[in-house]
Amino acid sequence: MKINFTAVPAALSAFLLASPLAAADHTIGALFPLSGPNAVYGDVFMAGSDLAVEHINADGMLSGTMSIAYEDSQGLPQPAVVGMTKLVNVTGVPYTLSAFTGVSKAISTIGQRNQVVAVNGGGVGPDLAALGEYFWNVIPLVNLEVRAVVPYLTGEMGLKKVALIYIDDPFGQAIEEELTSALGSDGELVGTFSVPVSAQQFSGVAAQIRNAGPDVVYVASYGAQQVQIVKQLRDNGVEVQLVSYSGFITPDSLALPEAEGMIVTGQSVNYEAGDEVTKRFVTDFKAKNDKDPSAYNVNYYNATLLYAILAQAIEADGGEVTGESLLAKRQEMKSFDLVGGTVSFQDNGTLLFPIEVKQVEGGATKALTTMSLN
Amino acid sequence: MLAIQLAITGLQAGALYALTAVGFSLIFGSTRIFHFAHGATFVIAAYLFQWIFAAGLGFIPGALVAAGGAVAFGLILNRLVYVPIQRDEGSFFTVFVASFGVGIAVQNLVGMIFGRGYVTVNTPLSRSVKLMDGVYVAPMAWIAIVCMVVFIGALQLFMRRTHTGMALRALADNPELVRTFGLNPRTIGAVAFALGSVIVVPAAIITGATTGLNPAIGHHVMLISLAATIVGGIGSITGTMLAGLLLGLAESMALLVVESQWTEAVTFGILFAFIILRPSGILGRAHAH
Repeated sequence: MKINFTAVPAALSAFLLASPLAAADHTIGALFPLSGPNAVYGDVFMAGSDLAVEHINADGMLSGTMSIAYEDSQGLPQPAVVGMTKLVNVTGVPYTLSAFTGVSKAISTIGQRNQVVAVNGGGVGPDLAALGEYFWNVIPLVNLEVRAVVPYLTGEMGLKKVALIYIDDPFGQAIEEELTSALGSDGELVGTFSVPVSAQQFSGVAAQIRNAGPDVVYVASYGAQQVQIVKQLRDNGVEVQLVSYSGFITPDSLALPEAEGMIVTGQSVNYEAGDEVTKRFVTDFKAKNDKDPSAYNVNYYNATLLYAILAQAIEADGGEVTGESLLAKRQEMKSFDLVGGTVSFQDNGTLLFPIEVKQVEGGATKALTTMSLN
Repeated sequence: MLAIQLAITGLQAGALYALTAVGFSLIFGSTRIFHFAHGATFVIAAYLFQWIFAAGLGFIPGALVAAGGAVAFGLILNRLVYVPIQRDEGSFFTVFVASFGVGIAVQNLVGMIFGRGYVTVNTPLSRSVKLMDGVYVAPMAWIAIVCMVVFIGALQLFMRRTHTGMALRALADNPELVRTFGLNPRTIGAVAFALGSVIVVPAAIITGATTGLNPAIGHHVMLISLAATIVGGIGSITGTMLAGLLLGLAESMALLVVESQWTEAVTFGILFAFIILRPSGILGRAHAH
């Protein structure tokens, strides 16, 4: 086949002129890890947000076509700031999806300064509840997860001596504070071991943990590193109960044979809820991905759908969709029909969900108990 | 007991660092090409082995495919990227940027082909057994140490006892003199790439079983290789091996005196100490080209 190169510029011009680009098209941003050791999360997050965009466009909720401009944060603050700056100044989005505690904290100031809403559905550091009125969370933060699991460990399971291995970043440091506070007089933190973000060898730390003699080890990291920690703890003779948080609930973590029997926590989502939003999400997600949805899929579906609900209401009022108007509309509307039921934001911009304590069994999680916390 | 345990785990890590770094040192020492994509060679070998092994085709086919893939990648990269750049009088920096770019491209390609999540080579050999109270050692630790001795010993023999090995050493010392003797530096350079790439394979396989893999693991591998090459003395195989062991031991034994988040800093502290106090490294020679 011969390509007529002289025709290419003409065809390109015709295509650009014919494209239905209009002011009414809606583009939101997303700062997800699309490369590096945390890239597996990007796939999970996009499965939720992309499905929401399909539904929103199929329903014609907005005056134009909705799309997401993805930027690769790598799960790290510095690339995320570059991506956020591009989204705000070049793409001109009024609303951005965010993930990871360090990333969210780094980009929140740009959002606040430029009145661009940032919505987190993956980071769980407790500090994320205090990043200003333009930063919202559609995920319960990890302080609730720690507060839910500690009574279960010390009470139900009788495991009093806890060792913590945590990533040396704002998220890990927040877990250490929460765990120390939650244990109180019911248990004892027999050792804390922080590891650098880039560390991959944990056999030495495993020896230290064995030496500390805990009943249970809490693993607070994310991405490939948390899986490496769990594998190397087990490989190096740490046989006690392992515990982690919602960040561990990813396909590759759960598939790890060494993760069998681990206790993990995460938001409780009622997939059996009878409302149309939940039923449609669950049905279409399963059809498209051939597996059950996870809480992360739900969160980014909800975060994307939330934009459409707010923008639809603003357009119905004849207003312009900006970060400022989205914030005002969220504060005005109060409650939203999202996957899992009708939800409301707290004053600090964070959605509240019950927390499930679960156990890893055969590559999936089984709920042990559910706790409602404030 | 904790000190004994940390010494053993340090030796295991050091053996893997040595195997990885010796390949980089051989290539850099012989050809002066800053082969940043050496980390990508590691990733390719590890994923190919994991792919074959997980498919149930066995260890030997997996190791052979991994070795073939690593060597092919090294040779192709040399022929299609480094040689053209050098032919056009490309600077050291140009070669470095090209190699860095290839490393990133391979990371993304591996992610697309094998998935971006964490994978591991499942084998009972990575599970520790209790030697005595407080000391657990996995069979893989002994395998790592034996592999280091055998592969680096064989490489040393090759370098000292064969004409090609001598030519490689000559290329490191004086490329012009190699030409004068009628040898082709590019052909010898290709041998350096083949050997440097294949020696990374045992480390890649063992890392897949003990630490696990993700497509981005190559950057960390490269950092350690670079540190060991400088500490050991550029071009010195024995020096690089000793440096790899030193870094592994230091990283592990440091846990006796510092908090766990400082262990990587210890590695680079050693690197800086050598750069300042002994720039030629453990066994390197102070010379200028």
